[in-house]
Amino acid sequence: MAQPLVKKDDDRDEEADYSPFLGIEKGAVLQEARVFNDPQLDARRCSQVITKLLYLLNQGETFTKFEATEVFFAVTKLFQSRDIGLRRMVYLMIKELSPCADEVIIVTSSLMKDMNSRTDMYRANAIRVLCRITDGTLLTQIERYLKQAIVDKNPVVASAALVSGIHLLQTTPEIVKRWSNEVQEAVQSRAALVQFHALALLHQIRQNDRLAVSKLVTSLTKGSVRSPLAQCLLIRYTSQVIRESGVNTQTGDRPFYDYLEGCLRHKAEMVIFEAARAITELSNVTTRELTPAITVLQLFLSSSKPVLRFAAVRTLNKVAMTHPMAVTNCNIDMESLISDQNRSIATLAITTLLKTGNESSVDRLMKQITSFMSDIADEFKIVVVEAIRSLCLKFPLKYRSLMNFLSSILREEGGFEFKKAIVDSIVILIRDIPDAKESGLLHLCEFIEDCEFTYLSTQILHFLGNEGPKTSDPSKYIRYIYNRVILENATVRASAVSTLAKFGAMIDSLKPRIFVLLRRCLFDTDDEVRDRATLYLNTLGDGSVSETDKDVKEFLFGSLDVPLTNMETSLKNYIQDPTEEPFDINSVPKEVKSQPLAEKKAPGKKPTGLGAPPSAPTSTDDAYERLLSSIPEFASFGKLFKSSAPVELTESETEYAVNVVKHIFDRHVVFQYNCTNTIPEQLLENVTVIVDASEAEEFSEVGTKPLRSLPYDTPAQTFVAFEKPEGVPAVGKFSNMLRFTVKEVDPSTGEAEDDGVEDEYQLEDFEVAAADYILKVGVSNFKNAWESMGADSERIDEYGLGPRESLTEAVNAVINLLGMQPCEGTEVVPSNSRSHTCLLSGVYIGNMKVLVRLSFGIDGTKEVAMKLAVRSEDENVSDAIHEIVASG
Amino acid sequence: MLLAVLIANSEGNILVERFNGVPAEERLHWRSFLVKLGADNLRGVKNEELLVANHKSVYIVYTVLGDVSIFVVGKDEYDELALSEAIFVITSALKDVCGKPPTERLFLDKYGKICLCLDEIVWKGLLENTDKDRIKRLIRLKPPTEF
Repeated sequence: MAQPLVKKDDDRDEEADYSPFLGIEKGAVLQEARVFNDPQLDARRCSQVITKLLYLLNQGETFTKFEATEVFFAVTKLFQSRDIGLRRMVYLMIKELSPCADEVIIVTSSLMKDMNSRTDMYRANAIRVLCRITDGTLLTQIERYLKQAIVDKNPVVASAALVSGIHLLQTTPEIVKRWSNEVQEAVQSRAALVQFHALALLHQIRQNDRLAVSKLVTSLTKGSVRSPLAQCLLIRYTSQVIRESGVNTQTGDRPFYDYLEGCLRHKAEMVIFEAARAITELSNVTTRELTPAITVLQLFLSSSKPVLRFAAVRTLNKVAMTHPMAVTNCNIDMESLISDQNRSIATLAITTLLKTGNESSVDRLMKQITSFMSDIADEFKIVVVEAIRSLCLKFPLKYRSLMNFLSSILREEGGFEFKKAIVDSIVILIRDIPDAKESGLLHLCEFIEDCEFTYLSTQILHFLGNEGPKTSDPSKYIRYIYNRVILENATVRASAVSTLAKFGAMIDSLKPRIFVLLRRCLFDTDDEVRDRATLYLNTLGDGSVSETDKDVKEFLFGSLDVPLTNMETSLKNYIQDPTEEPFDINSVPKEVKSQPLAEKKAPGKKPTGLGAPPSAPTSTDDAYERLLSSIPEFASFGKLFKSSAPVELTESETEYAVNVVKHIFDRHVVFQYNCTNTIPEQLLENVTVIVDASEAEEFSEVGTKPLRSLPYDTPAQTFVAFEKPEGVPAVGKFSNMLRFTVKEVDPSTGEAEDDGVEDEYQLEDFEVAAADYILKVGVSNFKNAWESMGADSERIDEYGLGPRESLTEAVNAVINLLGMQPCEGTEVVPSNSRSHTCLLSGVYIGNMKVLVRLSFGIDGTKEVAMKLAVRSEDENVSDAIHEIVASG
Repeated sequence: MLLAVLIANSEGNILVERFNGVPAEERLHWRSFLVKLGADNLRGVKNEELLVANHKSVYIVYTVLGDVSIFVVGKDEYDELALSEAIFVITSALKDVCGKPPTERLFLDKYGKICLCLDEIVWKGLLENTDKDRIKRLIRLKPPTEF
């Protein structure tokens, strides 16, 4: 039936069934491109064809070498046309085609002509095109014109030359660096954009010369920078100079702070924000310095522009990590952002609030979050779960409501990463907060009753096997475990069998009943499940072969002492060559292979997973312990007491990045140097660190483990071990020199030359301090722990800490000196308070529990006094803590 | 660095994409990520209302204008604020060329001009021109008025 005739409303209806590029096809367009060769050029038609070509390119269509060359040659013919619109299209088309070196020659003369044209706009565009397609040799020919262009009075020409300079600096720095004087002149330009581009280029030219950058900043911060974009750049460069110069020790002033503060009153929001962020990122920023920046950020929180709200809350979120009290003033504004339409903003607001909140606000906050959780995506939920985990570790007494929250979201719909984040969090909370263990385990049990992820079920079953038998009523978990044997897939069933065996091994009273259950598993359809059941029945003593109790526990609970990846490789090799000999686990190498950098520097590798949690809930300490025990030289050092956080020994972005982890044993220390080679053209071999311990008298070197090879971007470790007096917290300073053989690598083939050159690289010094001998171990209820420790071992003394910036600074200084775990959130000092009590807990070397109660007071002249009360399992330890403070 | 400018229609088909400093093998990944981001969040959003997201040190600012959605991705100095500046220039240039928030058809009709505008705004990952009137003149090879 014919459609009723409807009056067409301009282009509305047509467009639904007709697009100008409908049915566009590469071959046809290439045919059409022949019009470029016509002796009488039709400019309009040529422009249309170029548009089609651009559309194809933008759709991801590629041209073969032949096609591209053909089009390129045809396009160059269009230089004959005097049509301005077409010329503009031609410039763009040449850039898009990016012809190869031997073709470029065809257009250079036309472009050089345009570059000297009296029409400014031809000049600007020709510069851009030439710089895009040119190589170093041509650049020397046109350098003179480019230098002139930089100071051209037409801002478009100047900008074109400057932006080209920024790009060319990457490929031919030696030439661009010669333009310094012209660029310097352009920085003074009255045109805003020219100034912006010139400043960026000048800074890039001089970025390795600290003095020059400092001079640049000094002169420009006094003058007037017109464009807000240039002002933002200047703020960045200024903060770089501040970072490198430090605080004036006499006056306590920070250079350029006044400039940054002045920018907070700029009319452009972009500049205000940049200045505020620069201030918040100053090292050791004081509350006084921070306040004006926080105030403007707070105003941005209620801005109508989402980008400003996002920027402000993101910055405040970072500040909250280091200065939670400074951000509390913004809490009310932040709470209103929880309902922000933009989920990124809402999530940042929530996680900031979780960081700044105090114990009393936890419950209220949890209520708000509960309603918020249902309508955000998984990646945001993961961020919230991680924030809640840290909150719970900070306020252990609140574990009940936080754990309930975690378990309730565990029951909701969600993907694997989200569920895994929750399970990991519950596991960590169970480990760190003993009171939370029973309820946490039950939540996990309920979860596996209806869990669709095999990985999580097996992980929970494994954890349950280790922790469940140590609870007050282990039998209540059996039901959940045996349900898995009945209901789940083979992998989970096998895991459940192992877990049942662990209960049987640990609890004699349960053993007969476990045997009944395991015997039922002998009829399972899966080989692995039956094998495991048979194996455990025999090891536990139900069969003919029974092991001693110790062997059984060792077998069930001991960890595999070889890295799993090595095991996998060895097994694969074993299967490949059929042999009569049984597989020998001792043949598996124990050395941990270096892992390539987990996170590539290139962006967009995996943009969906917003900060996924670590893959398994094993702590880094476990990993270190396994690593060290796999090295024969260090295997005899006994149990690892503590591993420090990595201390950087090089500045960022140097040729070789090295940090050190200090491993403390009873009679030894081992320094693990994590090295990364950031130069693609080099391979380092025989890498060692030469340690000078002349300022660490009690230490004597006993061994090193060199690193055989250190390829580009593949971190690996070398070790140096020292002996020290047993149980004594010996301290000292160590100087380090990286020594290695360097070999050139051909980047195209990746092969290294045979001959290398010995070289050295100076690293920073580091110290072994008293805090390295104290483990951060929290207690959930400090008062109970303190009272149960008894007053006999208590040692009390008073100390004057001298003038301090603030009470917070004094509290942090003492916490860092002792390296103990702050309890119950007492590391946070309420603003304006004149006294504060901080509770610390830890384990001293020799496995001695120690608790510390610090009472601080500050007077009008900022003099801080401190009362230190220590209780410990051994009074000598209490004395030792006092000694640390007295000598610190 | 301004890593990407991407313009898609309401069904998520790419109309224009310009990457800078993003390896070819990662482009497809970015394309689908951005299109999904738009599909999840842009429904019911007003013209030119900016949305923002970040992943580690990479920022994304995006919006709708008529029938098309526009995404800009940046890192380092091109943070959310610099990107909002860039997207503002892009949207105003688009409105200028099309005379109104474009329908998909109108956008395609003006495709050549739009490519020229983008060429003036972003040059190999750097913001070059920010004033729509100047851009309007530059794409016709006319010098800026203030000169």
